[in-house]
Amino acid sequence: MTAAPDAGVSARVSESLLRTLGGADYVDPAVFAAECERIFEAGWFCAVHASDLPEPGSFRTVQVGRESILLTRSRRGELRGFFNVCRHRGAQICTEPSGQARRSFQCPYHAWTYDFDGRLVAAPNLTSMPDVGREEYGLRRVHVREWLGYVWVCLAEEPASFETTVEQEILDRLGAMSNLEAYDVASLQVGRRITYDVAANWKLIVENFMECYHCATIHPELTEVLPEFADGLAAQFFVNHGASFGEGIEGFTVDGRVGLERLPGLTSDRDRKYYAITIKPQVFVNLVPDHVIFHRMFPMGPDRTVVECDWLYLPEVVASGADLSASVELFDRVNRQDFEACERCQPAMSSRAYADGGVLVPSEHHIALFHDWVASHVR
Amino acid sequence: MIRICSTDDVVPGEGLRITSTVPPIAVFRTEDDEFFALDDTCTHQDASLADGWLEGCRVECPLHASTFDLRTGAVDEPPARLPVRAHEVEVRDGEVFVTLSTAVPHLPPGVTLGAS
Repeated sequence: MTAAPDAGVSARVSESLLRTLGGADYVDPAVFAAECERIFEAGWFCAVHASDLPEPGSFRTVQVGRESILLTRSRRGELRGFFNVCRHRGAQICTEPSGQARRSFQCPYHAWTYDFDGRLVAAPNLTSMPDVGREEYGLRRVHVREWLGYVWVCLAEEPASFETTVEQEILDRLGAMSNLEAYDVASLQVGRRITYDVAANWKLIVENFMECYHCATIHPELTEVLPEFADGLAAQFFVNHGASFGEGIEGFTVDGRVGLERLPGLTSDRDRKYYAITIKPQVFVNLVPDHVIFHRMFPMGPDRTVVECDWLYLPEVVASGADLSASVELFDRVNRQDFEACERCQPAMSSRAYADGGVLVPSEHHIALFHDWVASHVR
Repeated sequence: MIRICSTDDVVPGEGLRITSTVPPIAVFRTEDDEFFALDDTCTHQDASLADGWLEGCRVECPLHASTFDLRTGAVDEPPARLPVRAHEVEVRDGEVFVTLSTAVPHLPPGVTLGAS
């Protein structure tokens, strides 16, 4: 009897290489459920931009792990987040992804009615049930905070430490918070938003964002602007390393033409640099001299992830109606190229040939740290 | 005329449900510090107008958004079709007094006089 030609291969890999996760981790509903429970529903999750909720009763509903979360502002303008679940019989309160509630949130089933603080203010025959507490039967709240102009939520009973998770990711990447503060991200406005519905597991998208081994192959425009990406080394490997614009490149645009007004807080050493940050588990930030590209991922299932990407500019640039297209098009192309690559991988994740996973070359070895991070939460 | 509550019991811009009367009434205090009193129960379905949305001289039922005039009890649009009764209010020395209307109240289906 002869051994199968690949017998024993799974036991070890060449010295230059590290193993990826096995294919099942990208397709198994049980794995995805565990990630939802231990990662997305446990830690801080970046949900929407603060400007998506301009006034009391403005709302967005977002998927956080397995939960639908309703975000709004109270009558006093304070951010509020609730589980989008009626306390009566469980109907979803808001089925629209966004909108403006007039006076209250009313369940469309039996008209249980909640104010913008989540308090139960009315229900048919409620006056004859004086023992039903208006706070007690209010919408269940989630923790909410605003940072970098975004609304972050935490579904845990006791919120995770924002400092040792989200903020630590910035420190790990940029070395000091001041290196991010120079961009004053919270003061910027959304100039453009593009939503991508990606048929791939969220981890494939994170892994893709963390490495640049693929850049020279699938990102011709980006590699023109940032020639060092052709060396395949990760932009996110070295602390506070920014990739330099190529010679003759005047701005972070699809054809290297001059960009928009430069962010005023930047020192000259950041004038022609690109920085990329991954804030695990679902945020990617790109910093360039005249704008910030901010991705939020919403894992919808093992094989589907919605990505909302915002291009943020100075308020005066957005107000001026300046043409943002050359600026937006560069990273829109990068996104489409990346997501197409991720979608190409997804079907192979359930292949027998990938059951033991693949391998990471040295310029991808830091992805193993991401795998360790996932494993430390889920296992 | 009966004493209903103190002025401080009612937050400006809100209403207070009073269950010591039959049927219960709602006392409203506008942002301009005027006081009004209506039957508290919407004429369409059992809901407390004191929990409604007060704006200017009208209160909007929290359930189905018919609005009632604080001065007359008149309703603007369906689903409620009948007015609520308006009661005469007098404010003296920080106390709110009401003379209850003697008209027959319009209560919604399933709500009877005496039920609180």
